[in-house]
Amino acid sequence: MVHALSEIRRVLVTEGILIDMRPLAERWQIEVVSTDTLKETGRVMDLPEQVNGDVAANEAMKEAETRGWFAPEHEEFFPFFYSWDTPSEMEEFIKDDWADFINLSEDAKKATRSTWAIGNADSRVRVRMKVLIARWKKL
Amino acid sequence: MSLQKDPERNEIHHLRKYVDLTGKRILEVGCGEGRLTWQYAKWTNSTVAIDLDHDSLRVAKVDRPYDLEDNVHLACADSHSLPFSKEKFDIAILAWSL
Repeated sequence: MVHALSEIRRVLVTEGILIDMRPLAERWQIEVVSTDTLKETGRVMDLPEQVNGDVAANEAMKEAETRGWFAPEHEEFFPFFYSWDTPSEMEEFIKDDWADFINLSEDAKKATRSTWAIGNADSRVRVRMKVLIARWKKL
Repeated sequence: MSLQKDPERNEIHHLRKYVDLTGKRILEVGCGEGRLTWQYAKWTNSTVAIDLDHDSLRVAKVDRPYDLEDNVHLACADSHSLPFSKEKFDIAILAWSL
């Protein structure tokens, strides 16, 4: 990662901007939502690969700052939603695409299914990811 | 599959809040299928979007809007060895790729 940051610095103009945008492991909330309701039904379980990836990325940016390559300017977090029509579609997606990063407990699955089943006709399920956006300036 | 990603468009909203892309030369690292790229590229002078995943790039090339064909260039490239000369870009975006 540090070498990639060195390469990015090389191809940026002086005082060029680096935007680091990525989801962070923080036991993302599972929600059932409709036009007029929002219910939290549980949280995902973070797996070590996801957590370790955050640590490595943060350390790489810190190293780039220590080496005088980039200076931090601003950062904040925002929600990024993955949304599905049904709980089973969410479960299938997590199993197929995110199995290395997060897991769903049986309790969370049951709570989401039952909440969705008695919800409004337009109810959907979604995962509320926490995404970091950070702005760095090339030194 | 009914999957929707970021239906509220929070990502592009925050990106535009954090950096003025207008007329800039952009390098996007980890463009995937171009989900974010198509949302901002129209404001840029030029955008080079790279990824290592051939399948994702293939989808991106198919999905690339017609009006972005001239200023969005997609390439399979590794961020550890960028095939570009120095100081070629104004802004680099690490899109879920660090």
